[in-house]
Amino acid sequence: MNATIAAQMTGADILKLRKKRGILTWSLVLALGPVVIYFVAAVIEHASDPGKYGPAGGLQNFSDGLRVITLLFGPLAALLVGVEAGSGDHSAGVFRDLVVTGRSRLALFAARVPAALAVTFAMMIGAYALLLIGTFAFAAGLPTPGGALILNGLGFTLLGTGMLCVVAVGFASLTTSKPAAIIALIAWQIVASPVLANIKGLGSSREGLLSQAIAHFSPVHLGEGGHGASVVLSGGTAFVVLVAWLALFLALGAWRTSTMDA
Amino acid sequence: MSASDDGSKAQAGDGPAVQTTGLTKRFGERKAIDSVDLQVPRGSAFGFLGPNGAGKTTMIRMLLGLTKASAGSMSVLGRPVPSQRSAALARVGAIVEEPRFHPQLSGRENLRIVAAVRGPETYERIAPALRRVGLSERADERVKKYSLGMRQRLGVARCLLADPLLLILDEPTNGLDPGGIQEFREMIRAMVEQEGRTVFISSHLLDEVEKICDHAAIVDRGKVLMQGAIADLAAGGTRHELIVGVDDPLRALDVLQGSSSVRQAQRSDEGLRVTLSERAEASHTDSAAAVNAALVEAGLAVSRLEPVRQSLEKRFLEVTSRLSDSTVEEVGA
Repeated sequence: MNATIAAQMTGADILKLRKKRGILTWSLVLALGPVVIYFVAAVIEHASDPGKYGPAGGLQNFSDGLRVITLLFGPLAALLVGVEAGSGDHSAGVFRDLVVTGRSRLALFAARVPAALAVTFAMMIGAYALLLIGTFAFAAGLPTPGGALILNGLGFTLLGTGMLCVVAVGFASLTTSKPAAIIALIAWQIVASPVLANIKGLGSSREGLLSQAIAHFSPVHLGEGGHGASVVLSGGTAFVVLVAWLALFLALGAWRTSTMDA
Repeated sequence: MSASDDGSKAQAGDGPAVQTTGLTKRFGERKAIDSVDLQVPRGSAFGFLGPNGAGKTTMIRMLLGLTKASAGSMSVLGRPVPSQRSAALARVGAIVEEPRFHPQLSGRENLRIVAAVRGPETYERIAPALRRVGLSERADERVKKYSLGMRQRLGVARCLLADPLLLILDEPTNGLDPGGIQEFREMIRAMVEQEGRTVFISSHLLDEVEKICDHAAIVDRGKVLMQGAIADLAAGGTRHELIVGVDDPLRALDVLQGSSSVRQAQRSDEGLRVTLSERAEASHTDSAAAVNAALVEAGLAVSRLEPVRQSLEKRFLEVTSRLSDSTVEEVGA
């Protein structure tokens, strides 16, 4: 398979995702909505009691907003997109029609990943742009992030949501069930992962949590507990954890796609 | 768009369009396909005929690499499957069970998805394929608004994107109205006769297979019971028979029972039913003429001399009701 066909297959998968309006709408709501709500609430608070509540923009609000879009709601949007990319062909019943073209099943699986990432990144760049607009528009003289931090923040957002998106593609390709994959991944992301991260008795095994490895790369202090960085781990360990999660779920998804009865 | 383009030749292997040897598929202890030897001649419309649950779809799924065979070997367009599956299927179009699509996409967009997977040269076939199946004007509507008949036609259009040397269609007339069925038959015949494509149709509808196909295999409970040309299948092991209309049936019976061309003659509602002798079967036309000559020489007025047409339906019911014999017959292949 040459690069042209790979690009066309990725384009075709992006088309499927773009036209899946329900998933796309909810993903956009999850990616952009919290940023808008965050700033609207902060502006109202500041306007109602400027002595108690500071301006809605500035560096601190940038950090809080970054946490919201990268560790709280952005991953949910990424999960929805990833699950749709991973299971859309199966749920529509067209997977077998793609298999009978003679194209390798691995190629069919591989095309889903960049397509899901492209859609997720487009949404998250939009969310990040909103965050920057709010940060600067409502700074009211407070310090604002510099160029390096802005770039690092964007990288962190894309890393965090991209990781979840790829894991979701692999997991949905493994289960081939959209509802099961969405429920399992959201339960993991919202409930299980933060809870496990805060059980100190688990010790260093918590270093294997994906959310903790992602949080390690945050350019701003995320605070401890909940969806923040609860576990201190080295850069090398965090990198290995990310690669391991990617390799595991990509391998599972590829294996299932290659071997299942279509 | 023709199957005889240079490109098609480049990818076509030698041998039958489909060939299987001892092909078997087990689901646990049950054999869905049981040691099937099948040969689909190139350039033919081949019916894979069997009752529901006979194993037709399982057979197609194995040929297309959708499920693995438990034993045996197979080739598609002269290439072994699954070892050369990609090359074999590059010029195969298939509809397995009902055609399915992404409902949120238009008909044209669904074809673009498949074109992207097949390769860049496929895009230019989208518009002709839509025209061929009569969907050009509604190609930009979402598929969720299509009727089942329109989806069937879109499924055929999707097959045509491969410029197929071989089309494999599973129960293709499901959901089509009588006019649509007639159009479909004409399209299949044109593909075979004018474009040289091979069409493999699985169906439980005898009438459909008899009207569309020139070769067929009868399958039941995972076994191919008979295969060959439709006319030979229908005639099968039965004797050649004639219906004879004559002015004096009783005297005609006396005359015919003395003829070496006749094995048996008896009265029936239609006239005389004459079974030709084995020697006469070898030259059926001459023996019919001999019967006529014998009657005329005896001074009888012959008003009707008609070969009995054996129906595929009758043959199908005969072979599928004697499964215990489990004998595979090769008829005039």
